[in-house]
Amino acid sequence: MPADTHGRSAGRSATGRAPDRGSPTWLDERRAEALAAYDAEPVPTWRRSGFWTTSLRKLDLDALEARRYEAVEELPPTVAAALGHSTDDGAARLGALIVQRGASTIHTMLDPELAEQGVIVCPLEQAVDEHPDLVREHYMGRLSHAEGKFAAATAAFWTGGAFIHVPADVKVELPIQTVYLIDEPGVVQYAHTLAVVGEHSECAIREYCLGAAIDGQALHAGAFELYARPGSNVKLAHFHDWGPGEIYDISTKRVEIARDAHVGWVPIHLGGRLVKQVLDIVTAERGSAMRHTGLYFTEGDEHLDLFTTDRKEAGHTTGDTIWKGALTGASRASYEGLIHILPDAQETHTYLQTHQMLLSQKAKGDAIPSLIVETDNVSASHGGTVGELDEDQIFYMTSRGIPRAEAVRVLVEGYFEEVVQRLGDPELAALVRGRIAEKLEAARDQVQEFIGERAET
Amino acid sequence: MSLQIENLHVRIEEREILHGVNLKVEKGETHALMGPNGSGKSTLANTIMGNPNYEVTEGRVLFNGEDITAADPDERARAGLFLAFQYPATIPGVSVANFLRLAVNARREEPIKVKDFGKILRENVDLLRIDREFVSRYLNEGFSGGEKKRAEILQLAMLKPEIAVLDETDSGLDIDALRIVSDGVNALSGPDMGSLIITHYTRILNYVRPQFVHIMLDGRVVREGGPELADELEEKGYDFIREEVAAADAR
Repeated sequence: MPADTHGRSAGRSATGRAPDRGSPTWLDERRAEALAAYDAEPVPTWRRSGFWTTSLRKLDLDALEARRYEAVEELPPTVAAALGHSTDDGAARLGALIVQRGASTIHTMLDPELAEQGVIVCPLEQAVDEHPDLVREHYMGRLSHAEGKFAAATAAFWTGGAFIHVPADVKVELPIQTVYLIDEPGVVQYAHTLAVVGEHSECAIREYCLGAAIDGQALHAGAFELYARPGSNVKLAHFHDWGPGEIYDISTKRVEIARDAHVGWVPIHLGGRLVKQVLDIVTAERGSAMRHTGLYFTEGDEHLDLFTTDRKEAGHTTGDTIWKGALTGASRASYEGLIHILPDAQETHTYLQTHQMLLSQKAKGDAIPSLIVETDNVSASHGGTVGELDEDQIFYMTSRGIPRAEAVRVLVEGYFEEVVQRLGDPELAALVRGRIAEKLEAARDQVQEFIGERAET
Repeated sequence: MSLQIENLHVRIEEREILHGVNLKVEKGETHALMGPNGSGKSTLANTIMGNPNYEVTEGRVLFNGEDITAADPDERARAGLFLAFQYPATIPGVSVANFLRLAVNARREEPIKVKDFGKILRENVDLLRIDREFVSRYLNEGFSGGEKKRAEILQLAMLKPEIAVLDETDSGLDIDALRIVSDGVNALSGPDMGSLIITHYTRILNYVRPQFVHIMLDGRVVREGGPELADELEEKGYDFIREEVAAADAR
């Protein structure tokens, strides 16, 4: 595959800005630099010591295009289903919504109350024109086009996008939501969300990456950046459910937390043919604190490759990371979590734990915590387990009269419940519980077979 | 209404632990099964409940006259058997109350009404002098030894089995906890329940008075009698019994 020429035509034709609107020179320059990096970089294959390889050789990049869509009033069914918990009770419960389908923003909504408070939620394309200084000040502050071919592609070709700006001293009660939707095969979606939460402000941001059950391939290449300014408090959730189609997701998400600010970040992965994500959370200034809670469930022939970094750049910072996953079918899931404490970050306290549960003979997983400490006077601990359902637990439950199949279901749901509780978001928790229950039901026979086999040996 | 063990031989990982155990517990009776560590008491308890790790090579387990040797644990439980575990498993993410509701509903055609369940739960929690907050904690997660045993007795009270096997429910309890657990067992004992109290020590028998005492050594029941047998054991110890049995075998 002539990888180094891929996407240029698709990407360029799809930059989405109306030619007559023009674009600030600075952004053109940034895109041009990214394009050069993109052209220079090969399509990567990610290898790690041992058996783990994430390869895109089955993805036909050249067959994908950045497809445009018309704006709509009514939300597409895949989006409505995922957001159902908000729309059921009326749009009043939603602070803001941006929906991007393929390469186009197709729906935007901002509660007038939020607009009055000075909150900006709009496509990033639009923000570049309307709020150039704000965007320029933060745009790709923690992201770089030099992080590989797909980071470069996203930086060069993104369209639509989302810009969220909460000014200083504002408390936004209603959730701000962004949606990236792929519901047709043959689509490549270059996405970029930039969020800035001002000093002493509070808000909740949920980003949904949703796929319909498409018959064919598609790619989401995404960038997400959040800057939590001093004293702010942000609840951030990423909900990925690319569905059973052949959707690939190669993304980088980075969160920077300033002095005395707090971010609770909840990434959820419930589906995608191949998902490769880098998720970094940077406690950048004194007093910054984070809580990172992740969850994944893979099935069929899905491949999930996650790398998270708890990056401590300043002293007197704290972190608390927990990731839990379960694997069914012949799926593959790898989670690697790094705690990196830099030389200036004395007096930091952080820990990371990762657990993974195998629910099928053919599934393969990896859960690797690691630690780099470049200073002293810190406390950092990490731990990881990869395991199966505990036969003692199953026996205990069945000894109370609970049938084996139900015991297994309850144990897996209970295993996830600890992290679901930590979402701190009852609506999202209900959505996640429901999806996990569906997936467990779908895998019921193979899980029973797997657990049954173990009982007999 | 009874639990009957006939000539039970049980193996775990290729090693035979029980070499032909016979025992019968009728509803309304309280039995104590005593023996030193490694005598096979817990193996018997697990086998009665159908733990898949234990293989019955000979003999059988009857419950109300029916052969349940090959039955799954959940079938045995629904039939009216209960095991209070020596080391209960931790069930993360499932609260005591939710767990109990699952177990109660497993015995019913129609799920119990939330209100009815709450009432029964409160009654039993109060009966066992358990803090009401306790039932919203995840089952056995972070529980002290005493809390785990109380959770077992709470399940016993909620599930109202015909025959309950209590596997070393007294071990690791301080005197107060032992008294609470014993009071619970006494309150639940009666014409509707038979119990088999498995213990290493005689101290729980100061609070729960059995009608029948069985002594187990090396995978066999070697002595049987009334409560006076426990007193004799208290006085003379297991070694004495062992010597006595060896002498009898030699004759």
